[in-house]
Amino acid sequence: MLSVFLSAGLWRLVFPAAPAPGVLWSRDRSRAMDCVRVGAEEGNRSYPGQIAPTPPRGRMGTTDTVVCTERMLRRDLRSPQDEAVLTDLQATVSALASAARSQRPDLVGRTWLVEAHDPSTQVSAKLRFATQNALADNGLAVSDRTPVLAVGDVDVLTRLPPDQAYAVACERYGANGSVADDQVLMAIIRRDPRETSLHGGLCVDGQWTWLR
Amino acid sequence: MTAVLRALGLVLGLVGATGVARADERTDGLQQAQLDRLRAEVAGEVQLVAYDLVDELVYGWIQDPVFSEPTSVVLAGVTVPVGLGTGLQALLENHITGLLTQNPSTQVQLVHCPSCTAVVIHSGPEGTVLSRGIDNPEVLGAFGESTGKHALYIDIEAEGAWLVLRARITRLTPDRPIVWSHTLATSASAPALLRQSTDLKSAEDAREEYLKALRGRGSLTVPLRFAVRTYARPEDDQGIGAPPFLWLQSGVELSATDARAWTSSLLVGYSVVPQAYQGLMAQARLQRLVTGRARSLTHPDLYAFVGAAVMTVWGPATAPFRERVLTADQLLVDTAQDDPRETFGAFQLGLDLRLGNRVGMSAFLETIPSLRDSPNIGVTTYLLGLPFQVLGAEVTFCF
Repeated sequence: MLSVFLSAGLWRLVFPAAPAPGVLWSRDRSRAMDCVRVGAEEGNRSYPGQIAPTPPRGRMGTTDTVVCTERMLRRDLRSPQDEAVLTDLQATVSALASAARSQRPDLVGRTWLVEAHDPSTQVSAKLRFATQNALADNGLAVSDRTPVLAVGDVDVLTRLPPDQAYAVACERYGANGSVADDQVLMAIIRRDPRETSLHGGLCVDGQWTWLR
Repeated sequence: MTAVLRALGLVLGLVGATGVARADERTDGLQQAQLDRLRAEVAGEVQLVAYDLVDELVYGWIQDPVFSEPTSVVLAGVTVPVGLGTGLQALLENHITGLLTQNPSTQVQLVHCPSCTAVVIHSGPEGTVLSRGIDNPEVLGAFGESTGKHALYIDIEAEGAWLVLRARITRLTPDRPIVWSHTLATSASAPALLRQSTDLKSAEDAREEYLKALRGRGSLTVPLRFAVRTYARPEDDQGIGAPPFLWLQSGVELSATDARAWTSSLLVGYSVVPQAYQGLMAQARLQRLVTGRARSLTHPDLYAFVGAAVMTVWGPATAPFRERVLTADQLLVDTAQDDPRETFGAFQLGLDLRLGNRVGMSAFLETIPSLRDSPNIGVTTYLLGLPFQVLGAEVTFCF
């Protein structure tokens, strides 16, 4: 019975390899880790001496390496949606900034303004800050100025469906001079409070386009 | 009757509902208190890492200043990770202010600007704008604040296993250009460097300093040791027995690695009690750390050791080291002739408690094979089948 238990690998159900939760590793402890799966070559580059490279003649079977690091903040200190957005913040805004630069090379000479829309005011400020830095890291001229709309515009915009509201807002920014001809407005948006991905859009000369 | 029962049920239901509501309120209060406690605990853990990032930021400004001459900068905002409170924000603001004040070579001069952080309302042809003064430099000009100042914004956020610091400096002119921005990150698993605010160092230099502290004064130390050896009385309690020997020893102690898990020592010693005995000895030891894999800077460390020694002793009190029974005739012959001189080897095992790299206290057992059958010296204890005749204690000071 014991030999069947061991040979069939059933003991892995009771004592799974960390960080999978099991008898010796609680669920809370597993959830407190930030884990990524890495290949042997990448692992050897990032953790020399700890992760062995693939031998020149290859290796029998498939070897997986999961690198786990303790999370900076414990779970439950913020909402799961905020946690998901903030965990990948740097990667997300860097990707958006690179996408903006590569998709619109004609806008490189302009000054970039940034605004962020998120159900949480705190997270909005974080998104704006991170995007400004990411754009500056891409060699773009960035301004800290916030474009403004008249009260009447805001009143109308809040009653429009989101897809239409961004386009109309962009048009109004262009019309009232908040976003001048030599400027670009980049907006980072979480369109639904339940979603965990961010969208980006550009407002250029009163025309709104989605980056992704 | 039915109406009365119904009314009673309604009253009981209301009372029950009130009780449940109160219990819910209590539970909410307890959960809130637990969450607040957790937030404070986490903020304490994050604080040092956040300080480290701020230190790195200011160190960067010292090495590569943003401005070529001292420039007025308003600390416009410091934000902390979402989920943590304003206590951490206040601590960070104080730390940043302290660092910039103590390091004028950054060329960043923090200035006080009350109207910058106040909420201002500005009405003009374009409309009425409600904002912080710092977000509307034209209004600052109307308040008499000189334009051309700069605003510093710092944001710290926990992103998975990373703590990320973002900083930007904005010129307070109507178009508000960002003149400098930077992003720094550190991992949750990286220990804080705890740099001194008046003497900021690069991470490499701080690590080197840390390693130097770990190494102490290098892998070689010079111990000065005071030892006392007590010899067991003969088993039949007949005869004089050997007196305790006091030794002063010194030499070198060598560590194979910085961890000091293995150390070895070679010492020579001298012993003297006037009119009684004198002695010389040489001793070699091999020590192994048994409390952990590396010597601790903050906690005592325990080593187990084995060693070997060669001793030569002479003087009237060294007669018991002979292998034959002491007789009155023999003692009279010793008095008439030269003092007895005995040379013998010994093997030791014991424990050594070290405090930092400075002080050590040890106890050991010693066996002298040549005196195994001596009628003048007994056995303290048997260990691994060997008779140990000597119980010793030492105090060591390392230099």
